[in-house]
Amino acid sequence: MTPLLVAAGALVAIGAAVATGARDARIASLGLAVMLAAAPFVADPLPGPLQLAFAVMAGILAGFLVFVAARRVPNRAGPPLGLPATLGAAAAGFAVGIGATAVALPRLGPATALAAGLAACAVAVGPIAITRDIFRLGSALIVLVGGAILVLTALAGTPEPLTGIAAGIVLVALAAAVAAVTGGAVAATGGTAVPDDLPGRRAAATRAAGDDR
Amino acid sequence: MSVLPFLAVAIVGAVIATLLRDIRRLGTIAGLGAVVVALAAACFINPDTPLSIGGGALAGSDHLRLVLTLCLAGGLLVLVVARLATWQPSAPGALLGGAAGIGLALGLAGTPPGLLGAAAATIAASVLALGSPAAPSRIRALARELRGAATSLVIGLIAAGIMPGAAPAPGAVPAEPAAAALVLLGMALIVAHRFGAIPLHARVSRLADAAPSGALPILAAWLPAAWGLVILGWAPAALGPSSAGLGLERGLIVTLALATLLLGTVAALIQDEVEHVVAYTIVADAGVALLALAALDPAARDAARAWVLVFATTRTAMIGWTIAFRAAFGTGRLRDTTGWLRRGPALGVALAGILLAAVGWPGLLAWDARLAILQSATAGPALLLAYAGSLGTGAAICRLLVVGGGRPSPIVAGSLGELPRLPERPPAGAAAPVTDGPPPVGAIARAAARARRLRVAAGVVGRDARRTLELNRVPLRAFAVILLGGLALLTAAGAFGIDAAARAPGPVLPSLSPFVGG
Repeated sequence: MTPLLVAAGALVAIGAAVATGARDARIASLGLAVMLAAAPFVADPLPGPLQLAFAVMAGILAGFLVFVAARRVPNRAGPPLGLPATLGAAAAGFAVGIGATAVALPRLGPATALAAGLAACAVAVGPIAITRDIFRLGSALIVLVGGAILVLTALAGTPEPLTGIAAGIVLVALAAAVAAVTGGAVAATGGTAVPDDLPGRRAAATRAAGDDR
Repeated sequence: MSVLPFLAVAIVGAVIATLLRDIRRLGTIAGLGAVVVALAAACFINPDTPLSIGGGALAGSDHLRLVLTLCLAGGLLVLVVARLATWQPSAPGALLGGAAGIGLALGLAGTPPGLLGAAAATIAASVLALGSPAAPSRIRALARELRGAATSLVIGLIAAGIMPGAAPAPGAVPAEPAAAALVLLGMALIVAHRFGAIPLHARVSRLADAAPSGALPILAAWLPAAWGLVILGWAPAALGPSSAGLGLERGLIVTLALATLLLGTVAALIQDEVEHVVAYTIVADAGVALLALAALDPAARDAARAWVLVFATTRTAMIGWTIAFRAAFGTGRLRDTTGWLRRGPALGVALAGILLAAVGWPGLLAWDARLAILQSATAGPALLLAYAGSLGTGAAICRLLVVGGGRPSPIVAGSLGELPRLPERPPAGAAAPVTDGPPPVGAIARAAARARRLRVAAGVVGRDARRTLELNRVPLRAFAVILLGGLALLTAAGAFGIDAAARAPGPVLPSLSPFVGG
């Protein structure tokens, strides 16, 4: 565990906390970009330069796509937890990950990757479970997937380039989906809240007419 | 190497179909044309030398070819049925995007890339199908799909990290039995969620409400099938050695599977909307997928690789049938469409074909594969229950046929029949072209007159063809649904070499990562 590795892991944890806990959606997207761009460096040995560059670029692109979505988010749509609480959750997750060296878990990667991954998962679970805001949900899903890739790095070692490339593609696709669904929600409902299920819905009965354009 | 042309065609086709979807006629031609080209490219996939990419590999296989060919052929027929009923601009792009993702998920070596490919396919197809036009129900469904795909991916990545499907790397400590148990339960959770097993069934029925019906085959049948193939390819290698110590967990999964088979059947039998009937048959068959996972047996995996093709093809055919049914009678409510067989006998023939394909009989691939899965995971009374529950789809289809044999309701009596009709011909005098002036003199004038007459004739033929098409949407839809039923029947009979493809080993790789899906 080198200081550089710990610093990168801490940057990931803080970025994840900001991405899910910041009140301003643009700052949240900035935190997401920082988290995704720093995550590839939390590996020992480091991936090859090309894979590293691809992962960083994919992270920045995903962050940018979420930033585009963030510009449409109304100011009143805040995160379910405040930033201090989210930072606390991230710190707890990080500490648990570092402490997991005491558990006989078969691991080929660094403990810092497990710490950063658990921190990201810890801050993402809350918004995924309880938020009704589509932007916050999407950001949390990206943080969760980024955290899972770090946990995979901790368990199975530095991912093969193919896995890294596929992970970058999935993160960008997820960010594009968040941008699309946020834009659609704003266009359809004027906000980013997930619409409620209507009582006694009969959507199937009207679908054919709804699809007809 | 043969997968690359397919991926290129499918991705480019998805982009083109999506960009042109708001232009009705051009979008239809581009969408259907792109699916046809992708289908042709999928037919050329073969088990060739793996293409080395970034430490991993991408390779085709006979099974991958069958998955993609049946997915695109069935999807194309459903698109044709949907186009003859209503206009669903987002469906072709969703089908192509999903098929490209399935190609990646099953063509890439290793479990994590396979899971990432399946997640990318789910995200792409869901966004393309539900993202536009924006409506509250679609946003809700899209949010649910994204949440489901991302959480499934996370669970799968962590599980595959703890228990890799390949031989453990040098220096790795074997996983503890408790870890293996958690991993098995996690993977079962993914299969249950993706297929819609009870109590996670709400996803499928709400998807049937919100998604364009032309995109339902890829969203509700083929993408879950891809997730299932990736996980079932991984499970015997990763957890097979620990299977003796996983009795409790396997018992839990079998219990969940039995509950899904029985309760899903009951739910399919009490639904009033035909789309919900189809959705709950998918839910019921999630039990078979769970049993295949619980078996942790390579023989069950091979049977599941054949069964999943029958499952997805029959569900595709049923979705096409529901589109044609709703378009023919203007409603999908069974209580309003009693006696539908009198006005839609061709739909009845197609549904009977789907029934045969879904249930099968001893000696048929569909029957034997399903039975092999059930026998590998259960025994005694549990096998009897599983066997009875696995016939639930057949029972639900029989109910549709029984409703169709009743007394015709006013809605059915007032609907159009399936007999082809020709447009009324105008009076003979009116059809003759009017020619003014003296007859043409000289070669150029005669050629110009001939070209003019040809243009007039082509216009008349085009007008007639369009009117004929408009008048015959009902029989054309019925014909396309019969083709879907025939495709399902062929698949159930094991045509196209399904059995051999399902049993074939994956390509030999330069790395330790086995192919999980193909």
